[in-house]
Amino acid sequence: MADAFDRFLADSLAPPERVADRKFVAGVQARILLEEGLARERRALLASLATQLAALLAVAAAVWTLGHATPVGEWFTQYSAPGLAVLLLAFAFVVALFSSAGRSPLRGLELG
Amino acid sequence: MKGQNDEDLALSRRAAGGDSAAFAMLVEKYERPLRSFLVRTVGADVADDVAQDAFFKAWRAAAQYDGRARYSTWLTRIAWRCRIDRLRRERTPEAVEQESHQPASLEIDDMLARLSESERAALALCEGHGWTQAEAAELLALPLGTLKSTVARAKAKCRAMWEGADHG
Repeated sequence: MADAFDRFLADSLAPPERVADRKFVAGVQARILLEEGLARERRALLASLATQLAALLAVAAAVWTLGHATPVGEWFTQYSAPGLAVLLLAFAFVVALFSSAGRSPLRGLELG
Repeated sequence: MKGQNDEDLALSRRAAGGDSAAFAMLVEKYERPLRSFLVRTVGADVADDVAQDAFFKAWRAAAQYDGRARYSTWLTRIAWRCRIDRLRRERTPEAVEQESHQPASLEIDDMLARLSESERAALALCEGHGWTQAEAAELLALPLGTLKSTVARAKAKCRAMWEGADHG
């Protein structure tokens, strides 16, 4: 049989009778939205990095293949300075292309 | 009880599918008992942070709730793990010193402050939240016998304090 102490303990430890705390609920929802947004941005960033890496590897492979083709190799042997200039220009073009395409991953992320 | 679990399971499944309104209903339903338990157990200063961590993890793991246990039991387990993780991260000599949170002037807080954290948790769950001792033992990772003696010890300590304060 419950005595006065048992009743006191049960009453004191029971969750208080009150309506739901809307502010807390909204806080949890805001945190979920923020974390989900961050996770989406992280996935987009990783996908973008993977695409850029694949593209760079493809360009490198193409340059390597071209460089090993006999006519191109001979031309580079004869005209190494213009050849280097052409390669640098091509590299600058690729960098400019990728940097403009890859600038957006974190855009639109609103933390406020 | 079964109907309650089914309703919570349905909401949790909707949440797993990305329905944040369904999850908000679960938060509305369970924030009161969870936060009350955490305030009693770990102190008011960190209770809301732990509760928010727990609800966020429950959202991420919503697909794993299978309705076999009560949703409140499943959620409290998550919260307890959050608490343990937080303690591991933050454990410093000062934190250990302050582990027993300082009481407010209320009598029950004063009593609970003199108990260990596992005693507070066991007492709050079994005496205040209607958990079975088996459920509490599982949450606290204690053998059932140890849980029973923990509750009995905690209750005896509180009774001694209560009677010492001229209630007896």
